[in-house]
Amino acid sequence: MKRHLWIALSAILFFTPTAQAKLKVVTTTPDLRVLASEIGGDFIEVESIAKGTQDYHYIEAKPSYMLKINKADLVISVGLDLEVGWLPSILQGARNPKVNPGSQGYLEAGSLVRRLEVPTGNITRADGDVHPAGNPHYSLDPIAMGSVAVGIADRLAEMDPRHGAYYREKGQSIQVRFTKKSAAWLERLKKSKITQIITYHKTFSYFFERFQIANPAILEPKPGIPPTAAHVLEVIGLMKTHKISLVLVENYFDATIGKRIQDEVPGARIASVPVAVEGASEVKNLDDLYEKLVSVIEGKNP
Amino acid sequence: MHSHRVTFILASFSLFFSTAVFAQTGTNVGAPAAPSKPLNPDMSINFLGVARMYSGFALQEAEMQFIADVDPYFRANALFAVSKNATTGEYGIAPEEIFFETISIPSLTVKAGKFKAALTRHNLLHSHAFPFISAPIVNTELLGDEGLNNAGISAAALVPLPWFSEFTLQGFTNSSTPFNSGNSGDWIGVAQFRNLWDLNDDLTLEFNLSGAQGKNAYAGKTNIVASDLIFKWRPAVGGKYQALIWQSEFLSGTMRGKPSDDSVDGWASWLQYQFAQRWWAQTRYDMTGISAATRANQKKRLSFLVGFFPSEFSGFRLEYGRTEQVATTDHALALQFNISIGAHPAHAY
Repeated sequence: MKRHLWIALSAILFFTPTAQAKLKVVTTTPDLRVLASEIGGDFIEVESIAKGTQDYHYIEAKPSYMLKINKADLVISVGLDLEVGWLPSILQGARNPKVNPGSQGYLEAGSLVRRLEVPTGNITRADGDVHPAGNPHYSLDPIAMGSVAVGIADRLAEMDPRHGAYYREKGQSIQVRFTKKSAAWLERLKKSKITQIITYHKTFSYFFERFQIANPAILEPKPGIPPTAAHVLEVIGLMKTHKISLVLVENYFDATIGKRIQDEVPGARIASVPVAVEGASEVKNLDDLYEKLVSVIEGKNP
Repeated sequence: MHSHRVTFILASFSLFFSTAVFAQTGTNVGAPAAPSKPLNPDMSINFLGVARMYSGFALQEAEMQFIADVDPYFRANALFAVSKNATTGEYGIAPEEIFFETISIPSLTVKAGKFKAALTRHNLLHSHAFPFISAPIVNTELLGDEGLNNAGISAAALVPLPWFSEFTLQGFTNSSTPFNSGNSGDWIGVAQFRNLWDLNDDLTLEFNLSGAQGKNAYAGKTNIVASDLIFKWRPAVGGKYQALIWQSEFLSGTMRGKPSDDSVDGWASWLQYQFAQRWWAQTRYDMTGISAATRANQKKRLSFLVGFFPSEFSGFRLEYGRTEQVATTDHALALQFNISIGAHPAHAY
């Protein structure tokens, strides 16, 4: 009886389909997933942990994610401490030495981009949920994501040299496409005459820097702290004096705060927007995401 | 002894100064992606204070935690607890969990040191992570105030099934209730079978079975069986503002060999509802004395709790509990604060 059990267990171990040539990639976010998927094509399988409707700062370390990473050849994270509250637990539970940080099977995409808002001097949590390595929301900058695409292609090429040329060509083509489209998006945004936007969290720093838009205030009094009545009043005052007419609320935040602003600032537009791939059903990839944001700011897609 | 103390003081100084030096380097140019992480372990301190009706205010416990990878093969975790000795009333420091574990073996984690046994999910929690201010009655009555937490070794393997399934085997020194054989060669064996299913993107089901066995002080064996059933709901859309956890556990232990066998059994079931970004409302029913053999010492408790968490690093909880024992009924009201500083915690699920 015992012997049968052992044979059955070994059979399960040996016949689980692991030996297929496809590289198994797990990304922390759908933004990275669509990049990896476009680069890897049919040569890789790629899954994401977080969903585009979730706040990436607060994902739960579900054991089902550990199972995904247990079978992965490559894990791609956003990095810059965005996943600090959950990815370490998932990696620990996954028990997969191939993807331990520092090994070939782990790529922190944040190491591939120029970082903004890196705090200097004393770092203190009195300033809210600060990220010592800089603002981690670079996925809203098409140019930064072009660099990430090239970096992912390089890593895939290292791990699977047979298809290296394919990966590198795909990575380059994404970078070229995002560079071209960014020029067009910048033109459209300049024409829109919107130069200042209020947001809920500092999610748009990279997007605004790329497209030359100012972000004079956020609705959170400090990163990670929900808006207070007094702070919202201050923002309303600022909008009135500086004639700011647009507020973007990342759609995983409660948008009811917008109503209050709309009542107080005549003509103000409050838009709840997706800030990640699959953050809204029509946003299937990064191109859709940037297009959506540009058209919302233009006022064409309320 | 004296020289040890001097070494400890020197070590503390060097730790202190090395952090101070790193804190001054804040430049961005050419820095790696995580300049905040020198080779020092991730350090954090958590402390709990509680004000209880009738018994006043107390610093409940402070925990100092250090975590780091040792090398490409191992990770180490050292957690010291500062708390008041219940008999002497003086503060003392004790190792709560100190262990190293493998990070280099596929699908298996082996660890050794002193750590909490995988006997109910609740036994694995540090007091700052307890869902209510106190542990379920049956956990403390059966396993003691500190739970089952001895020196030992552990192996936890992922079972190759389509869902998350983990089998854990552990061996501990036989030095705590309800074992305490008094013989240093005796071991307590613990086994756990843990399973989780994602029912959909929003809802997870967890079912665990665990057991422990070891010699006791009455020349017999103590057997423990335990089980957890947990539902966790956090919607993928709107999950920042609402979540629901329904967790139940059952725990039963029998000490054979006394003039007559001695048993402790009980269960606990609780609901935790997050109704706003920073607010939780919770209720728990827990009891001991299910079977005919244990009913004479029956205890039942009903608790309600409201928690406010200004950030991930601070929390305040107000709890009311009503405990019914054989002849008496107690009411308890407590306000607890929970503060964390240092490295960002990686939350367990």
